[in-house]
Amino acid sequence: MESPAKKPNTRGILDWFDPRGRQVGGWGFILNRLTAIGLTVYLYLHLVMLGKLAQGPEAYDSFIAFAKQPLIMFGEMLVIIGGLYHGLNGVRIALNSFGVAVPAQKQLLYGVLGLTLVGSLIFGLRMLAAH
Amino acid sequence: MQNAVSQPKAGESYLLWFIKIVTGLLIIVILFIHFLVNHYLAPEGLLSHAEVVAYYRNYPIVPIMEGFFLVFVVSHSLIGTRSILLDLNLKKNIMRVIDALLVAIGLVATGYGIWLLFAVINWGA
Repeated sequence: MESPAKKPNTRGILDWFDPRGRQVGGWGFILNRLTAIGLTVYLYLHLVMLGKLAQGPEAYDSFIAFAKQPLIMFGEMLVIIGGLYHGLNGVRIALNSFGVAVPAQKQLLYGVLGLTLVGSLIFGLRMLAAH
Repeated sequence: MQNAVSQPKAGESYLLWFIKIVTGLLIIVILFIHFLVNHYLAPEGLLSHAEVVAYYRNYPIVPIMEGFFLVFVVSHSLIGTRSILLDLNLKKNIMRVIDALLVAIGLVATGYGIWLLFAVINWGA
């Protein structure tokens, strides 16, 4: 059964970047979409890269050594930031979707942003300490 | 607050929307464990090939968990991709082709991932 809930928007993806009349939640939604695209690309690249496990220790371990380069680590940091935001915001959306904490959704979004910042700092420091 | 409460959009079934929400929550739980073991507890942030093989063999629950993780994350990403593509207001017949393509990608990715899990478990056996 298809939902009759909403009509399609008229400008497609361009609507995501239209700041007119947009509130905090709207920006949260856009950020959710952008992180979703980034994480999807990463997921399939990650899956391909893990194929090196089937090629043996030399192939996999040399890739792991390569992955410790600053540029790759920077990319990993972006994945962590995107993943934290997308996951935490997803919890907020799930709660709201089932009618939980709907009046506090704005505060929850600020909480999501705060936790993403703190979590990213912890992971980032850990990553720097390990190398 | 704009777009704050998620609902299925036009062209998206309630079932797909519900699967997207549930798999999203399940991913968070498994991802937390996956990250903790594969990247946080590992001495240099990443496990070596020998460590991955030993880890999978010594803890059979791990490849099972990773298999479920794969299914959840592939489903969530492809349903999410479909949601985004619906924003492009594509024609119905194009959406049908895209749907078939997404299902094919999901089956290939899941099959490949499960094959990979067995390849790691059976490495050197």
